[in-house]
Amino acid sequence: MDVVKLILDIIFYPPIYQLLLIGLVGSLVVVIFILWFERKATARVQRRLGPYHVAPRVAGFPQLVADLVRYAFQEVIIPRTVDAGIFILAPIVATILSILPIAVVPLTSNPGYWPVPMDYSVLVALAISTVSPIFLILAGWASNNKFSIIGGVREAFVITAYELIAILSILAASATVLSFNFVDVVEAQSRIWFIILNPLAFLAAFLAVLMATSGFPFEIPESENEVVAGPFTEYSGLLYGLNMGAAYMKRFALSILMALAFLGGWAPYTPGEGILSGYLIPSIIVIAKATVLMMAFSFTRSVYGRFRLDQALDGAWRLVFPMAILGFGLALLEAYLGVV
Amino acid sequence: MSVWVYGEQKSDLKIEGAIARRIAEDLYEVFIGPQHPGSGHMRIIIRVDGDIIVDADPDMGYVHRTMEKLSEGREWIKNIPLFERMAIHDACNVTVSYVIALERILGIEPPPRARYLRTLLCEINRIAAHLYGFGIFGVFMGHSTMYMWSFADREVMVELAEKLTGARLTHSYPIPGGARRDLPQDFPDQARKAVRYFRRRLEEYRKIFLDNPVMRSRMEGVGVIPKKVAAELGVVGPVARASGIKYDARLAEPYDAYDEVEFEVPVFEEGDALARAWVKFEEIKQSLRIIEQAVDWLEKHQREAPMHPKFWERSPPLWKKVFEAEGRVKLLPLMANLKLPPGKAMARSETARGEIVYYVESDGKTTPYRVRIVSPSARNAIVFKYIVPGYRVMDLPTIYGSIDYFPPEADR
Amino acid sequence: MTARPVVKRLVKRKGLFAGFKGNVDAITLGLKYLVDPKRFTLIYPNEYIKLDPGYRGFIVLHKEKCINCSSCARICPAAAMRMIKRQEQDPKTGKVKMKLWPVINYQRCIFCGYCVDVCPTEALYTVPYHDIVYENMAEMDWGLETFTRPPEHPVEKEGGIPVKYIVDEERGLVKVKAEGEEGD
Repeated sequence: MDVVKLILDIIFYPPIYQLLLIGLVGSLVVVIFILWFERKATARVQRRLGPYHVAPRVAGFPQLVADLVRYAFQEVIIPRTVDAGIFILAPIVATILSILPIAVVPLTSNPGYWPVPMDYSVLVALAISTVSPIFLILAGWASNNKFSIIGGVREAFVITAYELIAILSILAASATVLSFNFVDVVEAQSRIWFIILNPLAFLAAFLAVLMATSGFPFEIPESENEVVAGPFTEYSGLLYGLNMGAAYMKRFALSILMALAFLGGWAPYTPGEGILSGYLIPSIIVIAKATVLMMAFSFTRSVYGRFRLDQALDGAWRLVFPMAILGFGLALLEAYLGVV
Repeated sequence: MSVWVYGEQKSDLKIEGAIARRIAEDLYEVFIGPQHPGSGHMRIIIRVDGDIIVDADPDMGYVHRTMEKLSEGREWIKNIPLFERMAIHDACNVTVSYVIALERILGIEPPPRARYLRTLLCEINRIAAHLYGFGIFGVFMGHSTMYMWSFADREVMVELAEKLTGARLTHSYPIPGGARRDLPQDFPDQARKAVRYFRRRLEEYRKIFLDNPVMRSRMEGVGVIPKKVAAELGVVGPVARASGIKYDARLAEPYDAYDEVEFEVPVFEEGDALARAWVKFEEIKQSLRIIEQAVDWLEKHQREAPMHPKFWERSPPLWKKVFEAEGRVKLLPLMANLKLPPGKAMARSETARGEIVYYVESDGKTTPYRVRIVSPSARNAIVFKYIVPGYRVMDLPTIYGSIDYFPPEADR
Repeated sequence: MTARPVVKRLVKRKGLFAGFKGNVDAITLGLKYLVDPKRFTLIYPNEYIKLDPGYRGFIVLHKEKCINCSSCARICPAAAMRMIKRQEQDPKTGKVKMKLWPVINYQRCIFCGYCVDVCPTEALYTVPYHDIVYENMAEMDWGLETFTRPPEHPVEKEGGIPVKYIVDEERGLVKVKAEGEEGD
């Protein structure tokens, strides 16, 4: 019995659980599910079948696994003209950094299961989430390819505009409760979620995350028709797969932040003592909410096309940024009135 | 500060026609194509200043197949399947004017039933080609739903064409003197169903693509060709009509049954990508009208061989028997070595992308002396050179898609 | 003349919330298709389209009807059909004669159907399928023996379900199971 308890303690040691189990394995499973959902949902809207032949009985669910296997065994070509060190390192670091925010957010209100002290967790998580785009720009620059450089510059433009909005609108939640502590933010939503109290900030965050994580068709940096694959033009094999995966993992991490900030985190459930009730169930609730958010992100793919770069930036600064500011103002007003 | 491109100062060598061009050093030269997801089989060399294209140079010819020369070595009717390969999804429209030119040299006029049958297939092809264009246009702007939808709905039209001709794409349907098959029994019913389906479906296209705010802002005000410029550049088809030029080969010189059916030629005056998309959209509606009228006419009139009496009356009884049983018009063996009287003829037809012109010259042999083809895509390709500069890099696919450029047709 | 040009104008977008309705329409339409996709995908190797008899598929020769006239070879636009010399015993007289027979090279054939239409005795006919794969180029150059019997239809042989597409007013095309009538 002690052995089982020991193993459980190790698994549910918060840094390990959140970084490895949720961050690495969990996000992989969620990404596999989301990509499958995205393909299937898009296929339905587009009157297609979607993934099927990989496993007809489960509607082609393991399609992404098959794709990953293909990527893993593909030859990684490193062209002679690239800056090899950065070229190889950039996608790896970007992937790690994009799941790192998960390791500093609380997935339960039970202080025994916090990976880090939570006093400034909103700030820390948001700060970490902003680092990974730099490596995508670096990847584009190291590729030494015209399309990559154009893509990298576009990435820089889009990220500058939309990450700011994402941060600002997630911070609105923390402004409402006058605390940078994610646990406070979530606890404050036990009665009413911030998505209802502050829909402006949620909408701004939704749009910003959608654009900043550049999934199809909002992948202005890697828009296929002009710049081939943007920063990833020269990549192949596993490194290319990492690049693609990093965007989805980042979307997952930001979705978790949004689930905590707007969708009430583990809200209907009150975490108790012990691993099961204190950690596992609340964390699964948070992940489920983040997954629902990601499904909403995925659905937009089948309805919309790609923005033009200048229109995307124009929309960011003229429409979504004021929306985020208004959302922040609303949050301050609510804090002043003491709504929560 | 400036540098020379295309070789070192070739003007010093006094080589006439050699291209040497001075460009600013901080311009960025990007090669779009020919192996590029957004270009098809052509290369566009663009020079960008920041995000603005300052110079665009369409470089055609990657799928050049010397069709004009090839045709000189082939017997007259063998060229029909060859010319189809220019725009394979618009086969009847592309070849019908060649056939009309042959008929003019022969001095024959196809019977009304053949003319209606050709018109019917032309309009089916036009819708299919417009949907193809919409699909490519959509995916160029990242709108994959439009791509999939229009390709799925194109299947309806392809299915109709297959019922009529026996082949999905390369119909080889018009033949000097008439058409190769008559309507199958269940065709009118199916065609009417398809027309009703499309009427309803086009509304959904409008909602998801043309009136979708994101797509609309991508298209509005992009690639504007003013009326005067359009006339000067000599663009044809939907590109010209979107710029307010009321020109359509079906209007200017009605061929087949186009002077008997009633339809409108939609003209827009904005001249931007959105107007070009709307022209195509409205044209699909008009094509549906023509299909309805053609099917009504064909159903009302007595079933007779859609072949000129000159060929049909000489045919053996078996020919008539096969036509009665299968609706298939058999060809006389003399068709293979058909000798045209010496003469010249020109004919034009309106394909989905614009007017195609054939100039055919015969010197009395079994093969053409000369066939000259002016295809619509070749005439519209000039837009890349003169209209693209000044727009953003991301507008290039929009303009490309909106003029519906089709390299195999332009290179021929 | 009954055709006429009609000048139309694009509907201008006005107001702050002009895009709102467009967005709502597009998303509603997307959701509508998410619930009811109306798809008609052919799951190909498991199903195959049973095409109409008029479809221009592979061309086969009725040898007994052939009168060795070479019309088909002369009209072939792709020079896929050619005539070969073959000694044949005349069934009536019993004399051995050199005769010309058509053979076809499917590397070149473009399925235009001219040969079928030009044949004076209907000795050539098309089978309504064309999805046959060859392992090498030489196999596609049919000899006279291969040309006289219809090729095997692999999908049908491997137990594919025959389906038919019919045009439908609501769904565009509908996939229905082809009725049991066996093609000969």
